[in-house]
Amino acid sequence: MTGAAPIAPPGLAGLQAAAAAAGLAVPAAAAWPESDDDREVRPLAGFIVSTFSPLLAEVAERVLRRRGERPPGRVTALVIVTALGDVTSAAQVAEAVDAGRRVGPLLFFQAVPNAVAGYLAARWDITGPVACVGDIAAGLDVARLLIDDADADEALVVWVDVAVTDEDRDQAAAILAAAPE
Amino acid sequence: MTDPPAASATVARKGAGPAVVTGTAALSAYGRGTEALLAGVLSGQPAFAPVQRFDVGRRRVRVAAAMPGQPTLPTELIRVVREACDDAGLGAADRARSTLFLAVHGDPRMARVPGGDRRRFGTEELAAAVAGGCGLAGPGTRSYTSGCVAASTATADAAAMISRGRADRIVVAAGYLVESDQFALFDAGRVLADDGQVRPFSAGRRGLLLGDGVGAVVVESGESARARRAPALARLAGWGRAGDAYHPCQPHPEGRGLARAVTAALQRAGIAAERLGYVNANGSGTRDADPAEASALRLALGDAVAAVPVSSTKSLHGQALEAAGVLELIVTLVAARKGMLPASAGFLGPDDACRLNLVVGEAVAATPRYAMSLNCAFGGANTALVLGLP
Repeated sequence: MTGAAPIAPPGLAGLQAAAAAAGLAVPAAAAWPESDDDREVRPLAGFIVSTFSPLLAEVAERVLRRRGERPPGRVTALVIVTALGDVTSAAQVAEAVDAGRRVGPLLFFQAVPNAVAGYLAARWDITGPVACVGDIAAGLDVARLLIDDADADEALVVWVDVAVTDEDRDQAAAILAAAPE
Repeated sequence: MTDPPAASATVARKGAGPAVVTGTAALSAYGRGTEALLAGVLSGQPAFAPVQRFDVGRRRVRVAAAMPGQPTLPTELIRVVREACDDAGLGAADRARSTLFLAVHGDPRMARVPGGDRRRFGTEELAAAVAGGCGLAGPGTRSYTSGCVAASTATADAAAMISRGRADRIVVAAGYLVESDQFALFDAGRVLADDGQVRPFSAGRRGLLLGDGVGAVVVESGESARARRAPALARLAGWGRAGDAYHPCQPHPEGRGLARAVTAALQRAGIAAERLGYVNANGSGTRDADPAEASALRLALGDAVAAVPVSSTKSLHGQALEAAGVLELIVTLVAARKGMLPASAGFLGPDDACRLNLVVGEAVAATPRYAMSLNCAFGGANTALVLGLP
């Protein structure tokens, strides 16, 4: 976690390019980090050990705040894009299991990437489908499909990539993707 | 004959053409193959036994439905996908034009390799390896990791893409083999049944139990199947996916998201609830999820709920997590084609919060024209898949 903060992590450019390729407009976007102020992500009650869920929630909520008031009746889908999932929690569980140590019960509740989706959905009344896929192009393809298929009017697509080494840094980005006006 | 549309959304929700299933393959604790799976499920004898695969000495619960030995997920996925392609009669050229959608929790090796190596063990890398190992080279191979709706979401997306003409053939594969880390997590979360039985919708239910599941279905356009003269085992007549907007890990108590998923699936299928001949419920056997699901079915099916037979085959083959949606769709398909409805095991007596037309005890003979498979996951994610049987 060293070095100057980039203004736009590669994930955001990737999301925007994939949205364009899928023929979707991007009315709001956000990333982590966006400035040097983005050093420590806010903890999220009920989620421990890992920055995965707090980061996901942070960039998603930045987008939801920036998009302003959602028109009544508009259904939002939530699409999470993550290549490794919550690798930090997974590694901690594996270490505990191999050492014969107890696994904390809270880790169970964050064992899949869609748990934090439930937090966001409850807080922002997101009633559309929840999906998690492994790559950005697939994420935007799913978003487009859900919109075309009338299961959602728009999709909040969130990409998260947590550090896997000390040299790595946590990155996340999110966009609201919608059919062009 | 098609029933009148249930709502105006029907038109928007229907694609141009049908998506059909032309091949299936599965592995479960009952053994290799869909015949072993069907025989096991119809026997009514749950496949749960003490876990031998890894040390469970420190666990509160020590049983699961696991096949003997130490199967490895990538190897079993490749084997099952090949079997499904064989079942569909796909030659090498057909396979090369087919796309793989893979539903998994992750590569089981990822958490135990050094940090710098972990990016080589992502789910996309696993999907690429399985596709490569099976000769599937169609565009858009991808992985789904949405917990217990991963496989059903992948199936719904495959059906939607095919019905909209965006793909001709997609092989949806999914796998979970009971292993030490998820077992430890579920044990720590105190959701495993400490009496060694899964009792869906029953009084006295005490939780879920994990089970092996690796499955694959070949989904293709009706036109593609006809061109190959491949018989359709069933149509993917309807699908729905919707969220609860309620809680990170609890279902909405009234099952509102699941009810909307069921309604959307029926709308796509173009049928009224009365025409459903069987529901293979999510039926996890947990205290809170079963009443929520029963409420969802009452909301979505209306008066028809009193007559539609419901069971949960998780009480037999166990909870296969990311693979549940495909494993249970296959169970539903092969049982309906056999003219049988599987019964839930472990039923002790009715629970007023779970009032449904439950099939319990012994499988019953019936030939449903339409059958539905339901799945629910953390995050309030819900899916419904409707099969149309020939």
